[in-house]
Amino acid sequence: MKIENAVEVINLSKKFIVPHEKKTTVFETIASINKKISYEEFWALKGINLSVAKGESVGVIGENGSGKSTLLNIITNVLRPTKGEVKVNGKLTSFLELGVGFQSDLTARENVYLYGAFMGLSDKQIDKKFNDIIEFAGLKKFIDTKLKNLSSGMQVRLAFSTAIQTNPDILLVDEVLAVGDLEFQQKCTEKFIEFKKRGVTLLIVSHDLGAIRKYCNRVLLLHKGEQVALGGAEEVIDRYVYGIDKTAQPTQGKKTRWGDGRVVIKDVKFYDKFGKESYNFVSGDPMKIRISYFAAKEVENPVFGMALYTDNHVQCYGTNTDLKGIDIKKIKGAGNIELDIDKLTMHEGKYLLTVAVHSKEHVPYDWLDKQFSFNVTKKNNDAGMFEIPCKWELGP
Amino acid sequence: MIEIWNYRHLVKKIALSELKLRYKNSVLGLLWSLLEPLLIFIVLYFVFSYLMKLNVEHYQLFLFLGIICWDLLEKGTMMGLYSITSKPTLIKKVYFPREVLVVGMCSTALLMVFFELVVFLLFMLLFGVIPPITALIFPFILLGEFVIVVGLSLALSALNVYYKDVQYIWAVLLRAGFFLTPVIYPVIIYPPQYVGWFLLNPMARIIEASRKTVIYNIMPNITDILIIYVTAFVALLAGYFIFMKLEPRFAEEV
Repeated sequence: MKIENAVEVINLSKKFIVPHEKKTTVFETIASINKKISYEEFWALKGINLSVAKGESVGVIGENGSGKSTLLNIITNVLRPTKGEVKVNGKLTSFLELGVGFQSDLTARENVYLYGAFMGLSDKQIDKKFNDIIEFAGLKKFIDTKLKNLSSGMQVRLAFSTAIQTNPDILLVDEVLAVGDLEFQQKCTEKFIEFKKRGVTLLIVSHDLGAIRKYCNRVLLLHKGEQVALGGAEEVIDRYVYGIDKTAQPTQGKKTRWGDGRVVIKDVKFYDKFGKESYNFVSGDPMKIRISYFAAKEVENPVFGMALYTDNHVQCYGTNTDLKGIDIKKIKGAGNIELDIDKLTMHEGKYLLTVAVHSKEHVPYDWLDKQFSFNVTKKNNDAGMFEIPCKWELGP
Repeated sequence: MIEIWNYRHLVKKIALSELKLRYKNSVLGLLWSLLEPLLIFIVLYFVFSYLMKLNVEHYQLFLFLGIICWDLLEKGTMMGLYSITSKPTLIKKVYFPREVLVVGMCSTALLMVFFELVVFLLFMLLFGVIPPITALIFPFILLGEFVIVVGLSLALSALNVYYKDVQYIWAVLLRAGFFLTPVIYPVIIYPPQYVGWFLLNPMARIIEASRKTVIYNIMPNITDILIIYVTAFVALLAGYFIFMKLEPRFAEEV
């Protein structure tokens, strides 16, 4: 292992054996001693190679079931590799889950000492940092309250505050970058930035691409246990958001289509900044919506429109060709119309799209109500639903 | 095994917090853990001194000490046995040597037995028996038993992760063991031609040696001590071996 590396993962594979019929007792095992055991093999990780230099921050992304957490579990030494190996150089702490080993019948103080012990802190070390922990968690009044009488938010704050006192060289984080309310989340963020400045090696698994962008220089992308990409954060995140074919196509909802059918909308497609068809976009990126139609007979003065909704059906925006002052004289046969969006200003979430074609008098020819959808991933950590273009300027 | 020394503070923490949890949850608290062996003692004492008319000097002390020695085995292995399976999130989400949990739980049982021994001491004084000088050997006997308990617990706790009925099988074996071991009766009631066989049982040796040293002011045989320590060594080694063999897949199976 190179001395400048904090973590080395060499050709790592992990196989899980999932028996069809699991024998969980001695009796069953004896009874079925002659029978063949049928089981399925499941490769959670296949040939992963990763080396993380000291002080580097690496993010691990991928959809659910891609093996991200398995990877962190193996580096933590909770799971053991089937093939390959993992080398760790330095004191490793992992936040795979907060508050593990908390006992609800013990007080906050007792739990800090117990949890600290599990995280590798001695009583003496905690004695020194006890006030910091309680202060950070903001639980001064509740030191001697039984844990079960604290809210879940307080418990998780207490766990986080204790865990960060471990002074790690290498920190593994699985989706616990920010917990609690806004104020506490801000404190968490500051703490991680402080860790980074101090030269702590960070390895972060998260679905929060904004956070990955913020903390990580390099990103590893996994897909079904395989290493798809490893490289610069922007590049790999783009690859994740745009590159992987989603099998989950937008579902066709209830019957919400009406109109007299003089013009039929054949298809609606979304195109990303690379001109590729996609359902996943990053906030701030351009998008093109292409509507394919067919008019059996000639139709005069049709109006094409669209409306955008959040996934809980709040309308965000709507426009049509008429409102935008575009006059379509007449159409016949098959054709396309495109809507160019310079910049998706919404932050994140799933958005539903209604596409319609109707006459100037609003007689619908074909109306597809919220029949299309796409996803937007956030780019920064600004709050709210959508971005308002703005900038701060210091006064004179 | 060397690693466990580095984690000794965690062992202490687990043992103490487990003890705290036990008495925090009930009004009578710690008394509960004392009450159970005490009640068994009273029942057995009544049955065997009045109904069966066993003729043993200081039978009440003889019986009480036997129960306490057996209790360390029973409590220790039963608590140790569940030490892995009762804490799945800990096993899945944090790394520390897993044997720490087992040793921690066994230590809790040892602490509980200490409380019982305090009661026993009061009992002795009440009956006018001053602990003799030979009682100084008793801690070493107890240590030997504790090591046996840890060894058994290591094996049992690991097996219990894979086979959920180990806990029931062990409970039955313990009950049978209770009657096959001279807890309630003296060794002399064994048929003379089989005594040798019965005395291969290390628990019989532990209990006999404890009584000799603590109550009757008799030095234990060297064979007693030898058998206890050889058993402890073998149990620990075998238990550790089984535990280590099964440990890598704990997080997947628990």
